[in-house]
Amino acid sequence: MYIKYHIIIRKYIEVLANLLHLKTFLTGFILILSLLILSAVGFFIIDYKYTYAGAFEPEKPPDGTNILGTDVLGRDIFAQIIYAIPSSLAVGIVAGAIGTIIGSLVGFIAGYYRGNLDNILRLLIDVFLSLPSLLILVLIASYYRGTDYITMALIISIFNWAWPARQVRAQVLSLRERDFVMLAKLSNMSNYEIIVRELMPHMMPWMFANFINATISAILTESSLSIIGLGPQRSITLGMVLYWSLSYASIYRGIWWWWLSPVILLGILFLSLYMIYMGVTKYFSEREVII
Amino acid sequence: MITFLKYTLLRIGFYILTVYVTLTIAFIVSRLVPGDPMIATLSRMAEAGAIRGSLELVEEYKKAFGLDKDIFTQYISYIQQILSGNLGISIAYFPSPVAGIIAMALPWTILLLTVSTIISWIMGTLLGLIAGWKGLEKKRYELLGIATLLFYIIPYYIVAILFLWLFVFILPIFPRETGYGVFVPEPGFIIEALRKSLLPAVSIVISSMGWWYLSMRSLVASIKREDFILMAEAKGLRGSTVLWKYAFRNAMLPQITGLTIALGHITSGALVVEIIFSYPGTGWLLYQSILQLDYPVIQGIVIIITITVATANLVVDLLYPLFDPRIRR
Repeated sequence: MYIKYHIIIRKYIEVLANLLHLKTFLTGFILILSLLILSAVGFFIIDYKYTYAGAFEPEKPPDGTNILGTDVLGRDIFAQIIYAIPSSLAVGIVAGAIGTIIGSLVGFIAGYYRGNLDNILRLLIDVFLSLPSLLILVLIASYYRGTDYITMALIISIFNWAWPARQVRAQVLSLRERDFVMLAKLSNMSNYEIIVRELMPHMMPWMFANFINATISAILTESSLSIIGLGPQRSITLGMVLYWSLSYASIYRGIWWWWLSPVILLGILFLSLYMIYMGVTKYFSEREVII
Repeated sequence: MITFLKYTLLRIGFYILTVYVTLTIAFIVSRLVPGDPMIATLSRMAEAGAIRGSLELVEEYKKAFGLDKDIFTQYISYIQQILSGNLGISIAYFPSPVAGIIAMALPWTILLLTVSTIISWIMGTLLGLIAGWKGLEKKRYELLGIATLLFYIIPYYIVAILFLWLFVFILPIFPRETGYGVFVPEPGFIIEALRKSLLPAVSIVISSMGWWYLSMRSLVASIKREDFILMAEAKGLRGSTVLWKYAFRNAMLPQITGLTIALGHITSGALVVEIIFSYPGTGWLLYQSILQLDYPVIQGIVIIITITVATANLVVDLLYPLFDPRIRR
């Protein structure tokens, strides 16, 4: 199959440029970008050793050397945040990508082939959607302690596919009745070719929106698991910083700088990702974008 | 009648399937543990203060628990055990049965979840109805929309942390919880329960309300443009009749279906809220059990809560025909 990559890439750039005109998307995009730049610059300026216990005097409020203060073990909170942002995002992106890919595959198969296979897959999707996923993940994570953030992302992916699958299935159901699919069938295209060459270009925008949504839910799940005490013990994520501060009762002890920084950063992270999601869905639902 | 019967049977079938999938996942997860589960459990029991088991003891245990049989027989007996209400024995509180430990915490969680979900569903639906009907262009509805959207995006635990800081640390209106409470239905107990539940409940309501508000608002806004609304208005029906009998009843159906999907989501959020407030429910018990590596209790909570959520979903599903006359036929 012959694919013109330069046209596709030009198309992506065009869509991104259009999206940047939307206020919600732009705000979210700038926020995420500034978080990434902050942690990228921090990587070079701030030594990883600052996140070790005993690096500084414990329980120090923010001052010149530790701009966000230190925790009860003497770890610099700003350094923890700097190293936590990329790993929190990585959990989201890895679990979001796996969820979107598996979910899209299931959604395509169910929506395109219909029949009994569709009935079974739809039932499976509904079961996975109605289960309290966090609880089942607690059970899994309690046995296989996800010690680093990538293992964590893999565990989270177990449940992250159901929602994208449902969305993609609904989209494919309406797309397969369209004229161009009929035309492709009449011109003797194989099912595989129809899915890849006719349906995929219409689906890509929605799969991107699904991916952002799956990323948000993965970061939410990771931080919730961390607070429950099943976070990636060997990595620093925003959820883990919050877990340590809560388990040392920082709220009751008045160490506000310890819990406030991860709370604000998690808030910004969710807000900016959600703004990107809102912008993307608004843009794609107002016009038909084919990539 | 045929539609109704078919619907009811399908929902019950779905319920059984959900419970079965949960039990199976729990079984597979516990059997796939790296290493011998029996030796792992015994060494954990030894850590918890029990006598370290010799290899003969391990063999005896395996016989007693049927672990020397093949995996399929184990699976059958596991399902039988759970269906008869036997969830095993706690490691941290050896030899108390897991079911008894969970039974003390479960009423707290069910109370908190039922009350806060119903309040948030009614409030969100009504506010969404008004905002969608009166039009989105009005400034105050726009502000309300932004506020609810903000609370909808921000995770449950952040609202809970801010509440805890504001109302327990800064303004000590509520005392610090210690996390233990026995559920006894007595008059004095109600005040105690209210005091413990108010802050977690309000934070769950605020976090989950946005979901209902946003969906109801867009539902009503799109129903408003339908022809049958125009027709009803043209017939000269009163504004309130059009709103309640035409718009509200139609928007209610997706809103009730939404309840079944959201319930699992809200439960997940509420468990974390329980931990933050040291609320004496299953979320707090779960947190304690994870700290103490009490695997039977963790597994028991997961199974019980999942079955509870599935049962609540079944109840909502079975009440659905009351609102949708098409299914009653």
